[in-house]
Amino acid sequence: MKKRTHLWKMVSMVMLSAILVAGCSKGESASETAPASVLKDGKYDPPFTITIAKQQDENAGKYINGETLNDNVLTRWGEQNLGIKIQTTLLGGDASQYNTKLRLALTGSEKLPDVLPVYDTMLVNDLIDSGQVKEITEDISTYMPDRIKDIYKQYPTTFNPVVREGKVYGMAIAPNLTEGEVMLIRQDWLDKLNLKAPTTIEEFEQVIAAFTNEDPDGNGKKDTYGFTFSGKDSYNTGWVSDPVMIFSAYTGKHLPRQWHNDNGKLTYGSVAPGNKEALAKLRDWYAKGYLNKELATQGAWDALSDFTEGKAGIIIGRPWLYDSVKDVEKNVDGAKISAYPTIQGVNGDKTYQSAQLNDGVFMFNKDFQNMEAFFLYYDKMYDAAFSTGEFKYGYAQGYDYDIVNDKVTFDPTKFNTPLEAVQGVGKMAFTKNTPSVDGPGQSYYDLANGVKADTGVLIQSASKDQTTQDGYRISYENRDVLLPNEFNGPPTPTMQNVWEQLTTMEQETFTKIIYGNEPLEAFDTFVKQWHEKGGDTVIEEVNEWYNQASETDVMTLMNLK
Amino acid sequence: MYHKTTGYRVFSYFNYAFMILAGLACFLPLLHLLAQSLSSKAAISGNMVSFWPVGFNVDAYIKTFNNSNFNGAMLTSITRTVLGTTISMFILICAGYALSKEFRGRNVLMWFFIFTMLFSGGLIPSYILITALGLKDTIWALVLPGAFGAYNLILLVNFFKTIPKALEEAAFIDGASFFVILSKIYLPLSLPGIATVSLFIMVGHWNSWFDGILYMSDASKYPLASFLQTVVVQSNMQNMAMSQSEVAAMSEQSIKAAQIFVSTLPIILVYPFLQRYFVKGIVLGAVKE
Repeated sequence: MKKRTHLWKMVSMVMLSAILVAGCSKGESASETAPASVLKDGKYDPPFTITIAKQQDENAGKYINGETLNDNVLTRWGEQNLGIKIQTTLLGGDASQYNTKLRLALTGSEKLPDVLPVYDTMLVNDLIDSGQVKEITEDISTYMPDRIKDIYKQYPTTFNPVVREGKVYGMAIAPNLTEGEVMLIRQDWLDKLNLKAPTTIEEFEQVIAAFTNEDPDGNGKKDTYGFTFSGKDSYNTGWVSDPVMIFSAYTGKHLPRQWHNDNGKLTYGSVAPGNKEALAKLRDWYAKGYLNKELATQGAWDALSDFTEGKAGIIIGRPWLYDSVKDVEKNVDGAKISAYPTIQGVNGDKTYQSAQLNDGVFMFNKDFQNMEAFFLYYDKMYDAAFSTGEFKYGYAQGYDYDIVNDKVTFDPTKFNTPLEAVQGVGKMAFTKNTPSVDGPGQSYYDLANGVKADTGVLIQSASKDQTTQDGYRISYENRDVLLPNEFNGPPTPTMQNVWEQLTTMEQETFTKIIYGNEPLEAFDTFVKQWHEKGGDTVIEEVNEWYNQASETDVMTLMNLK
Repeated sequence: MYHKTTGYRVFSYFNYAFMILAGLACFLPLLHLLAQSLSSKAAISGNMVSFWPVGFNVDAYIKTFNNSNFNGAMLTSITRTVLGTTISMFILICAGYALSKEFRGRNVLMWFFIFTMLFSGGLIPSYILITALGLKDTIWALVLPGAFGAYNLILLVNFFKTIPKALEEAAFIDGASFFVILSKIYLPLSLPGIATVSLFIMVGHWNSWFDGILYMSDASKYPLASFLQTVVVQSNMQNMAMSQSEVAAMSEQSIKAAQIFVSTLPIILVYPFLQRYFVKGIVLGAVKE
């Protein structure tokens, strides 16, 4: 892993020099004949093509009926109804491969696609540096439809990474506050041991102690434990198998691996006071066997298999995690999972979690002249989220929804032609995730409060498992615990040099303390060293970036105020 | 040949035990994969499958072969491997045969080839070259860049050199041309070497995934290894997804296992047919004289 990052760093360095050389020789050839397409009744005639780059994630790669990336139900729809053909000309696999391909395209060896979804802040920065991406301040102001403007107005910080000297070079991909995490607990274990779901750290300790020592599965063997989570990548995974609740119980809003705005100054969570108490707790629990023994080697997805097997009693993650672990109800007779809110902190506040506002940003080729066409298409994609227009139930009947006996269904096995899983049609164009305006689960909250399921979004939410629905409702009710990372800019110069060492040191120290291989005081040494070995400079630079990012009022320039 | 002393016997037992362990270390992961591919989803996500299927079913295989992407990728891979190996072997045999002779400038030429083995232009120049040649999105982008490998050339040259000169001279006297000598004498005599080098190239083509992802801008043109790379690599922190329920629909482990298993089968099947050549080893020619 480490070696890989190094490689990419080297690639990018070489790449920058290559851009300098290649950029000069090939910059001029891009003046293609402008399409004479005219917008008539919401359709372009003759149709023209928008080329896009795409990171092919696992879900986006599945097509049914022999459809492909460039010829599927959504691309055909765009061509027929809008006169816009979406064509992928740059395709990457996982994140690092995709970034490499984008960098390679920057060398000028081929034409950069019109629309570039970029998921890496360093790459965003390099793209702006290269001068090959379009400044879109005016375009947003002129062409962005009002209902989408309203969305972007809610999330001004998502523009921070793409603003340079008062100019805007991109926009967040479908911004929307993500759902929060919930505690999934083996309800049958709680019931058997006559326990209640924990709400404080003391109660939490009692429950996991009981889950470990009092044989909740009744097989007479001491083969269960309380709490499973992943400590492999960080102690704040942000989505599944997350232990961040324990840290937040002691540190409040200062989450590990995350920047928090503390009265106008950004601070780094891992060195905040309170972490030591949290580590002491985890260390104690680990020694007593309440935690999974291999927590430091298990990734977020591995850590849940103990829960699915019926060995662990509590796991924390986003509400859809239930889908991934509900097999325990098949594997173990009588197993039942319930969703609960995360516990309170030691001072009575809620515990906090990291949240995402967007997954990457859109950037555009500087020669791309049809921003109004892009916005036309983008707005249509939002139809499904707003339950309006042609996509009021979903994108395509028989793909992500179907109408059976006059009833809209989202259960793929009940489709007229049954499917194994619904098709993520919303992912087939230029977004990696289907645009949503449901926030951390508003539709579920509404449903729980008796709203009738009459729109596509509501019907879809109502079709989920009850536990998942509960989870989303809890997530929405507690949406004030969601903290987006306040630093979303490119790595600062010092960060590029020392950040990897600092995070490695952090990870090792935390893990060793929990495992009992180092005394608790190692945390103080770590904090001291962290500041000395570059942490202080990083804090300075990050704050400098933050002040600069909030300096110009770009929102007004884009007419988003 | 050896006296059956206690020491020798202890050594033998140790040797057997060690070889069995080494063999198991290679074989068990494959068995685990096979068991997973035949198990139910619930059992796998509960980590309950080791070497025997739990909840036996063959759904994963049915789904795998009904997946047009998988089949297309398999076809691409087969085409690529056959085409790539043929082209590579043609070039290598021609070059190797010539370079096994003494002629003026031979060492300079050889040095050129070896230079490419030690220093390569790197990713960026290769990419620019392939793009500029218009090979992107064609099978040639996968086959041509690696067609000539200096390492394989050295193996072949050395193999050819071990064939007695007298044979060649005799053929000359009988009126054979260089090409007749190559096809009638050198090729049959160096089958072990050719088989081995072919296998190297074949396995290389079959397993390489990075070039597929690099040079193809349509997933339907991916070779099998690239396809598997996008399917099997688990979502992790680095590409943390925003999506709500869509993540939960991640492809099942049993299907992944089936795909990996099916994709390794062809190369495993090729092996027995070539194996008889390199039981004797690539250095067989060394003792021919």
